[in-house]
Amino acid sequence: MSADATTRTGRPGNASRGSIRLEGIVKRHGATTVLHDVDLAIEPGEFFVLLGPSGSGKTTTLRILAGLESVSAGSVTMDGEDVTTTPPGERDVAMVFQSYALYPHMSVAANIGFPLRMVKVPAAEVARAVEAVATKVGIQHLLARTPGQLSGGQQQRCALARAIVREPRLFLLDEPLSNLDAKLRLETRLELHSLQRNLGVTTVYVTHDQEEAMTLADRIAVFMDGRIVQVGTPREVFATPQTRAVAGFIGTPPMNLLEGVWQGDTVTVAGHAFPVGAHAAAPRDVTLGVRPGDVRVADGGLPAHVERVEDLGDTAVLSYRAAGALVKQKTDRTVVRDGDDVTLGFAPGSAHLFDRTTGARL
Amino acid sequence: MIVAKPHPIRAIAVPVLTGAALAIWAFPVLWALLTSFKTERDVLAYPPSLIFTPTLANYHDVLFGATSIVPNLWSSVIVAVGATFFTVVFAVPAAYALARLRYPAKRASGFYVLATQMLPPVGLIIPYYLVLQRVGGLDTYFGLILIDLTLTLPFAIWLMVSYFEDVPLEMEEAALLDRAGRFGALWHVILPQVRGGIAVTTIFVFLNTWNEFLFAVVIGGNRVRPVTVAMFNFMSVEQTQWARLAAGATLAMLPVILIGLFAQRHIVKGLTVGAVKGGGRR
Repeated sequence: MSADATTRTGRPGNASRGSIRLEGIVKRHGATTVLHDVDLAIEPGEFFVLLGPSGSGKTTTLRILAGLESVSAGSVTMDGEDVTTTPPGERDVAMVFQSYALYPHMSVAANIGFPLRMVKVPAAEVARAVEAVATKVGIQHLLARTPGQLSGGQQQRCALARAIVREPRLFLLDEPLSNLDAKLRLETRLELHSLQRNLGVTTVYVTHDQEEAMTLADRIAVFMDGRIVQVGTPREVFATPQTRAVAGFIGTPPMNLLEGVWQGDTVTVAGHAFPVGAHAAAPRDVTLGVRPGDVRVADGGLPAHVERVEDLGDTAVLSYRAAGALVKQKTDRTVVRDGDDVTLGFAPGSAHLFDRTTGARL
Repeated sequence: MIVAKPHPIRAIAVPVLTGAALAIWAFPVLWALLTSFKTERDVLAYPPSLIFTPTLANYHDVLFGATSIVPNLWSSVIVAVGATFFTVVFAVPAAYALARLRYPAKRASGFYVLATQMLPPVGLIIPYYLVLQRVGGLDTYFGLILIDLTLTLPFAIWLMVSYFEDVPLEMEEAALLDRAGRFGALWHVILPQVRGGIAVTTIFVFLNTWNEFLFAVVIGGNRVRPVTVAMFNFMSVEQTQWARLAAGATLAMLPVILIGLFAQRHIVKGLTVGAVKGGGRR
């Protein structure tokens, strides 16, 4: 652990550190398999988000990176070094827990300095480093307090400071914003993003909140049922979901999915033909996906009944009953009211097609 | 809106019941205290006299006389402190392991610890005696402390487990990631948070071993004779020296009552924490 000021603040030391590889990771708990053959490559300095519903395996993956969980098969490599069986403390990895896991019997200063004291960094140097990171996260005036005397947001900063004080090669963050109220969450999200940019430390961030994922991530890995179903930039994941499951998970509200038959240049849903930008020679059972933002009220479209109007002020989310399914529209102009009967179309070129049986993108 | 004023019945019943319970508990203690200042003749007076000339003769006898219990008080201190020390030293890591580590038969071993408490000690005393006789452990501090441990250790482990379980697992994991190592995590992060539990356990075990009589009378002898046994000797076939017995009893009770007074808040808090948080354990 180098503690001189240039590596503490400067980025050069971090630029080449923090390359992470997961290869063929399998994790079993007794008879159930939590992770099926997970492969992941994270580049130095990247802000990488593991996104998925609860129970999808994202937290288990994070804990495997931390060394808190063993693997049933596969390997974990950090900067070319196999760390699969290396204990957590020897991986040069820091973690912020969802509960923050601050040590309640220690002052804020003692909490932040703990990872340095454990490797016998001289007291004066610890004090300097603690002061510096506390200033960086804006809690330098709270150093003498105990965690119990801090607000939720301050506790979160304390946990963050404890993680960054040691300049690890990898930050692991497990839903670090989930215990904050909505307003604070948005502010902290921005700060977290710029903090990570400044430090340049490779970061793996677990969340089930796809808005967090979209705004923070350089790249996202989407987890479903113990598998990674898609890896890409937020834009790629949003624009071209690789499976029906990803399409139904990403977006607020997520993509509308309608069962239909694709033939020629159209997909027929409940007797109504929608033009799509691709051609199928033989009839094929597909799922048609349309983002709520691409749904339009249009003449001659799919008959729909307005079930609910949720007015959010600047936008509104409309729920329709159409073709036996629930269709959502996100719009900034509300032209319909509860109980109206309308017909729906969608913006040209905005259709996503998925195989009905496999769920794969076509 | 329900006003939080105590119900009139409650307002009367609580002090009356508490007073009654206190009187039942306090009467023998006060009686012993009074008796310890009486002469043997006053003790036997009937009806019992509440007004008498107090004497310190009994205390002088039991402290400095031929039947001094000072060596026995020492004996009690050695046994109680020794047993308490080893109980805590063994119970803390054992409880930590039971609370944290995942290993096969964890449930079974946890139940086993508690099940040993269900055997009446009197049923074990003969085998203990025979075993100690074989290894030359009768009338030794080693022997008596060892046997006391069989009684105190399961209780102490059971009590400590709920304290360890109250410390969130994530905190320990954080310490592991902060490079403390498993031992460092226990030392720097876990133990400071269960120190209240360790204090309560220490006090309980000390009081139990200080008061212990059955094992002491069977395993002990001329060399190892705690004060509980020594007081027994004030009663003989010919006569019972009630006043000296009372003086000895008062001296023997003194540390127990003092500890109780100083630690009562800790004890009550400690036991309720263990009881509530470790719910369903019993």
